[in-house]
Amino acid sequence: MSDLEGDLPILKLLLLGGLFLMGFALMADVRRVGSLVSNSLSVSPPPEICQGDIHADVVLSREKLAAFLTISERDLKSRVQEILQQPYCQLPGIEVRAGVISERAVYPLAFDPQTWLVVLYEGEEYAGYQFRFQAAE
Amino acid sequence: MVQINRVEQYMRGLAIALCTTACSLNPNTEPIRQIEIQQNWVIQPGDRIGGHIVMAGLGDISIRLGGQAYAPFAGRVQPNSSECVLFSSPDVPAYLFRLCGLGSLNLGEVQAGEAIGSGDFLAFATLRKQPDGTWTIVEPAKDILERILKPP
Repeated sequence: MSDLEGDLPILKLLLLGGLFLMGFALMADVRRVGSLVSNSLSVSPPPEICQGDIHADVVLSREKLAAFLTISERDLKSRVQEILQQPYCQLPGIEVRAGVISERAVYPLAFDPQTWLVVLYEGEEYAGYQFRFQAAE
Repeated sequence: MVQINRVEQYMRGLAIALCTTACSLNPNTEPIRQIEIQQNWVIQPGDRIGGHIVMAGLGDISIRLGGQAYAPFAGRVQPNSSECVLFSSPDVPAYLFRLCGLGSLNLGEVQAGEAIGSGDFLAFATLRKQPDGTWTIVEPAKDILERILKPP
Protein backbone atom coordinates (compact mmCIF):
# COMPACT_ATOMS: atom_id res chain seq x y z
CA MET A 1 0.00 0.00 0.00
CA SER A 2 2.83 2.39 0.92
CA ASP A 3 4.54 1.62 -2.44
CA LEU A 4 1.34 2.51 -4.23
CA GLU A 5 1.10 5.79 -2.34
CA GLY A 6 4.76 6.55 -3.13
CA ASP A 7 4.25 5.96 -6.86
CA LEU A 8 1.08 8.03 -7.21
CA PRO A 9 2.74 11.48 -7.23
CA ILE A 10 5.08 10.29 -10.03
CA LEU A 11 2.09 8.99 -11.97
CA LYS A 12 0.25 12.26 -11.49
CA LEU A 13 3.29 14.23 -12.61
CA LEU A 14 3.69 12.06 -15.70
CA LEU A 15 0.01 12.36 -16.49
CA LEU A 16 0.15 16.13 -16.06
CA GLY A 17 3.25 16.36 -18.21
CA GLY A 18 1.62 14.23 -20.89
CA LEU A 19 -1.52 16.35 -20.88
CA PHE A 20 0.52 19.54 -21.04
CA LEU A 21 2.50 18.25 -24.03
CA MET A 22 -0.66 17.06 -25.74
CA GLY A 23 -2.25 20.49 -25.23
CA PHE A 24 0.85 22.18 -26.63
CA ALA A 25 0.85 19.84 -29.63
CA LEU A 26 -2.83 20.52 -30.32
CA MET A 27 -2.32 24.29 -30.03
CA ALA A 28 0.62 24.16 -32.44
CA ASP A 29 -1.45 22.10 -34.85
CA VAL A 30 -4.47 24.43 -34.60
CA ARG A 31 -2.24 27.45 -35.31
CA ARG A 32 -0.88 25.66 -38.40
CA VAL A 33 -4.37 24.69 -39.55
CA GLY A 34 -5.58 28.24 -38.91
CA SER A 35 -2.81 29.71 -41.03
CA LEU A 36 -3.45 27.18 -43.80
CA VAL A 37 -7.17 27.98 -43.79
CA SER A 38 -6.59 31.75 -43.85
CA ASN A 39 -4.09 31.32 -46.69
CA SER A 40 -6.44 29.12 -48.70
CA LEU A 41 -9.36 31.50 -48.16
CA SER A 42 -7.42 34.56 -49.29
CA VAL A 43 -7.50 35.31 -53.00
CA SER A 44 -4.05 34.75 -54.47
CA PRO A 45 -3.01 36.95 -57.37
CA PRO A 46 -2.52 35.05 -60.65
CA PRO A 47 0.97 33.72 -61.35
CA GLU A 48 3.23 35.75 -63.59
CA ILE A 49 1.95 35.21 -67.12
CA CYS A 50 3.09 36.11 -70.61
CA GLN A 51 2.21 39.49 -72.04
CA GLY A 52 2.28 40.52 -75.68
CA ASP A 53 2.99 38.09 -78.50
CA ILE A 54 3.47 34.40 -77.84
CA HIS A 55 5.69 32.47 -80.25
CA ALA A 56 4.35 29.00 -79.62
CA ASP A 57 6.94 27.28 -81.80
CA VAL A 58 9.91 28.56 -79.78
CA VAL A 59 11.78 26.01 -77.65
CA LEU A 60 15.35 26.01 -76.41
CA SER A 61 17.63 23.16 -77.50
CA ARG A 62 20.24 21.57 -75.25
CA GLU A 63 23.00 23.03 -77.41
CA LYS A 64 21.68 26.59 -77.11
CA LEU A 65 21.15 26.15 -73.37
CA ALA A 66 24.73 24.91 -72.93
CA ALA A 67 26.07 27.89 -74.88
CA PHE A 68 23.90 30.30 -72.89
CA LEU A 69 25.15 28.92 -69.56
CA THR A 70 28.72 29.94 -70.44
CA ILE A 71 27.75 33.63 -70.37
CA SER A 72 28.23 35.33 -67.03
CA GLU A 73 25.98 37.90 -65.39
CA ARG A 74 26.59 41.53 -66.39
CA ASP A 75 27.45 40.56 -69.96
CA LEU A 76 25.73 42.29 -72.87
CA LYS A 77 22.06 41.58 -73.51
CA SER A 78 22.81 41.39 -77.24
CA ARG A 79 25.33 38.57 -76.64
CA VAL A 80 22.68 36.50 -74.82
CA GLN A 81 20.03 37.26 -77.43
CA GLU A 82 22.43 36.18 -80.17
CA ILE A 83 22.40 32.69 -78.68
CA LEU A 84 18.84 32.44 -77.41
CA GLN A 85 17.21 34.46 -80.21
CA GLN A 86 13.47 35.18 -80.13
CA PRO A 87 11.77 34.23 -76.82
CA TYR A 88 8.57 32.27 -76.41
CA CYS A 89 7.12 35.33 -74.64
CA GLN A 90 7.91 38.18 -72.28
CA LEU A 91 6.74 38.42 -68.68
CA PRO A 92 5.51 41.86 -67.59
CA GLY A 93 8.27 44.39 -66.94
CA ILE A 94 9.04 44.91 -63.25
CA GLU A 95 11.05 47.33 -61.16
CA VAL A 96 13.04 45.29 -58.65
CA ARG A 97 15.64 47.90 -57.81
CA ALA A 98 14.78 51.56 -57.74
CA GLY A 99 14.79 53.31 -61.10
CA VAL A 100 15.58 50.24 -63.22
CA ILE A 101 12.94 48.40 -65.25
CA SER A 102 13.67 44.70 -65.73
CA GLU A 103 12.69 42.75 -68.83
CA ARG A 104 12.03 39.04 -68.52
CA ALA A 105 12.19 36.68 -71.51
CA VAL A 106 10.85 33.12 -71.37
CA TYR A 107 12.17 30.04 -73.21
CA PRO A 108 10.57 26.59 -72.72
CA LEU A 109 13.15 23.80 -72.85
CA ALA A 110 12.84 21.55 -75.92
CA PHE A 111 13.61 18.43 -73.88
CA ASP A 112 11.29 19.43 -70.98
CA PRO A 113 8.64 21.94 -72.14
CA GLN A 114 7.17 22.20 -68.62
CA THR A 115 10.40 23.89 -67.56
CA TRP A 116 10.90 27.52 -68.57
CA LEU A 117 14.18 29.36 -68.66
CA VAL A 118 13.47 32.89 -67.42
CA VAL A 119 16.14 35.43 -68.37
CA LEU A 120 16.26 38.87 -66.79
CA TYR A 121 17.74 41.93 -68.48
CA GLU A 122 18.26 45.42 -67.13
CA GLY A 123 18.78 47.93 -69.92
CA GLU A 124 21.47 46.51 -72.21
CA GLU A 125 22.78 44.23 -69.49
CA TYR A 126 22.07 40.55 -68.84
CA ALA A 127 21.37 40.17 -65.10
CA GLY A 128 20.71 36.45 -64.60
CA TYR A 129 18.42 33.47 -65.11
CA GLN A 130 16.25 30.97 -63.24
CA PHE A 131 14.37 27.84 -64.19
CA ARG A 132 10.63 27.95 -63.57
CA PHE A 133 8.75 24.65 -63.31
CA GLN A 134 5.26 24.92 -64.72
CA ALA A 135 2.47 22.99 -63.01
CA ALA A 136 1.01 20.37 -65.36
CA GLU A 137 -2.46 21.42 -66.54
CA MET B 1 2.92 -3.32 -7.04
CA VAL B 2 3.60 -5.04 -10.38
CA GLN B 3 0.51 -3.40 -11.80
CA ILE B 4 1.65 0.02 -10.61
CA ASN B 5 5.05 -0.47 -12.30
CA ARG B 6 3.32 -1.39 -15.54
CA VAL B 7 1.12 1.69 -15.34
CA GLU B 8 4.19 3.82 -14.66
CA GLN B 9 6.00 2.32 -17.65
CA TYR B 10 2.92 2.92 -19.80
CA MET B 11 2.70 6.53 -18.68
CA ARG B 12 6.40 7.10 -19.38
CA GLY B 13 5.93 5.63 -22.86
CA LEU B 14 2.92 7.85 -23.42
CA ALA B 15 4.84 10.93 -22.27
CA ILE B 16 7.73 10.13 -24.66
CA ALA B 17 5.29 9.52 -27.52
CA LEU B 18 3.49 12.80 -26.86
CA CYS B 19 6.77 14.66 -26.62
CA THR B 20 7.92 13.14 -29.91
CA THR B 21 4.61 14.08 -31.55
CA ALA B 22 4.69 17.63 -30.20
CA CYS B 23 8.29 18.15 -31.31
CA SER B 24 7.68 16.76 -34.78
CA LEU B 25 4.73 19.03 -35.55
CA ASN B 26 5.35 21.72 -38.15
CA PRO B 27 8.89 20.47 -38.79
CA ASN B 28 11.35 22.96 -40.17
CA THR B 29 13.14 21.00 -42.86
CA GLU B 30 14.12 24.01 -44.94
CA PRO B 31 17.93 24.23 -44.88
CA ILE B 32 19.74 27.43 -43.91
CA ARG B 33 20.88 29.39 -46.96
CA GLN B 34 24.02 31.37 -46.37
CA ILE B 35 25.18 33.93 -48.89
CA GLU B 36 28.24 36.11 -49.27
CA ILE B 37 27.39 39.80 -49.46
CA GLN B 38 29.93 42.11 -51.12
CA GLN B 39 29.39 45.07 -48.81
CA ASN B 40 30.37 43.35 -45.63
CA TRP B 41 30.03 44.97 -42.23
CA VAL B 42 31.27 43.21 -39.11
CA ILE B 43 27.91 43.63 -37.37
CA GLN B 44 25.24 41.54 -39.05
CA PRO B 45 21.52 41.01 -38.40
CA GLY B 46 21.16 38.18 -35.87
CA ASP B 47 24.38 39.09 -34.00
CA ARG B 48 24.20 39.79 -30.29
CA ILE B 49 25.67 42.94 -28.80
CA GLY B 50 25.55 43.47 -25.04
CA GLY B 51 22.97 40.69 -24.85
CA HIS B 52 20.73 42.35 -27.46
CA ILE B 53 19.97 40.96 -30.91
CA VAL B 54 20.85 43.08 -33.94
CA MET B 55 17.67 43.23 -36.04
CA ALA B 56 18.92 45.04 -39.16
CA GLY B 57 22.17 46.04 -40.80
CA LEU B 58 23.67 47.70 -43.84
CA GLY B 59 21.19 48.24 -46.64
CA ASP B 60 18.06 47.31 -44.68
CA ILE B 61 14.91 49.41 -44.88
CA SER B 62 13.04 49.27 -41.56
CA ILE B 63 9.28 49.23 -41.74
CA ARG B 64 6.72 49.36 -38.94
CA LEU B 65 4.86 46.27 -40.11
CA GLY B 66 2.37 45.37 -37.39
CA GLY B 67 1.13 42.31 -39.26
CA GLN B 68 2.07 39.97 -42.05
CA ALA B 69 4.55 40.19 -44.90
CA TYR B 70 3.49 38.51 -48.15
CA ALA B 71 5.33 36.73 -50.96
CA PRO B 72 5.60 39.17 -53.90
CA PHE B 73 5.80 36.23 -56.35
CA ALA B 74 5.61 32.46 -56.16
CA GLY B 75 8.91 31.39 -54.66
CA ARG B 76 10.79 29.93 -51.74
CA VAL B 77 11.43 31.13 -48.19
CA GLN B 78 14.68 29.91 -46.63
CA PRO B 79 16.19 30.70 -43.24
CA ASN B 80 19.34 32.81 -43.44
CA SER B 81 20.15 33.61 -39.80
CA SER B 82 18.37 33.53 -36.46
CA GLU B 83 16.47 36.72 -37.38
CA CYS B 84 16.33 36.68 -41.19
CA VAL B 85 14.91 34.70 -44.11
CA LEU B 86 15.71 34.88 -47.81
CA PHE B 87 12.98 34.93 -50.44
CA SER B 88 13.81 33.84 -53.99
CA SER B 89 11.59 33.40 -57.02
CA PRO B 90 12.08 31.87 -60.48
CA ASP B 91 10.08 34.86 -61.77
CA VAL B 92 12.79 37.27 -60.57
CA PRO B 93 16.15 35.85 -61.63
CA ALA B 94 19.33 37.40 -60.25
CA TYR B 95 17.66 38.81 -57.12
CA LEU B 96 17.13 37.76 -53.51
CA PHE B 97 15.07 39.52 -50.88
CA ARG B 98 16.13 39.43 -47.23
CA LEU B 99 13.44 39.86 -44.58
CA CYS B 100 14.49 40.19 -40.94
CA GLY B 101 12.47 40.43 -37.74
CA LEU B 102 9.56 38.18 -38.73
CA GLY B 103 8.03 35.39 -36.65
CA SER B 104 5.47 32.66 -37.46
CA LEU B 105 7.51 31.93 -40.57
CA ASN B 106 6.13 30.07 -43.54
CA LEU B 107 9.31 28.38 -44.77
CA GLY B 108 9.60 26.51 -48.05
CA GLU B 109 7.60 26.94 -51.24
CA VAL B 110 5.00 29.73 -51.15
CA GLN B 111 2.53 31.11 -53.66
CA ALA B 112 2.35 34.78 -54.61
CA GLY B 113 0.41 36.62 -51.90
CA GLU B 114 0.91 33.91 -49.29
CA ALA B 115 2.20 35.07 -45.91
CA ILE B 116 5.95 34.77 -45.35
CA GLY B 117 5.73 35.68 -41.68
CA SER B 118 4.55 38.38 -39.33
CA GLY B 119 5.96 40.85 -36.86
CA ASP B 120 5.91 44.38 -35.50
CA PHE B 121 8.88 45.49 -37.58
CA LEU B 122 10.37 44.33 -40.86
CA ALA B 123 13.93 44.98 -42.00
CA PHE B 124 14.04 44.49 -45.75
CA ALA B 125 16.95 44.33 -48.21
CA THR B 126 17.19 43.61 -51.96
CA LEU B 127 20.25 41.69 -53.13
CA ARG B 128 21.51 41.39 -56.69
CA LYS B 129 23.67 38.51 -57.90
CA GLN B 130 27.21 39.23 -59.05
CA PRO B 131 29.20 37.33 -61.69
CA ASP B 132 31.48 35.88 -58.98
CA GLY B 133 28.53 34.34 -57.11
CA THR B 134 28.42 36.95 -54.34
CA TRP B 135 25.48 39.29 -53.74
CA THR B 136 25.36 43.04 -53.56
CA ILE B 137 22.81 45.15 -51.70
CA VAL B 138 20.85 47.44 -54.02
CA GLU B 139 18.18 50.08 -53.51
CA PRO B 140 14.79 48.35 -53.44
CA ALA B 141 11.96 49.52 -55.65
CA LYS B 142 8.67 50.62 -54.08
CA ASP B 143 6.72 48.22 -56.29
CA ILE B 144 8.26 45.11 -54.72
CA LEU B 145 7.88 46.52 -51.21
CA GLU B 146 4.21 47.24 -51.83
CA ARG B 147 3.66 43.66 -52.97
CA ILE B 148 5.30 42.44 -49.77
CA LEU B 149 3.37 44.76 -47.46
CA LYS B 150 -0.14 44.78 -48.95
CA PRO B 151 -2.45 41.80 -48.48
CA PRO B 152 -3.39 40.19 -51.83
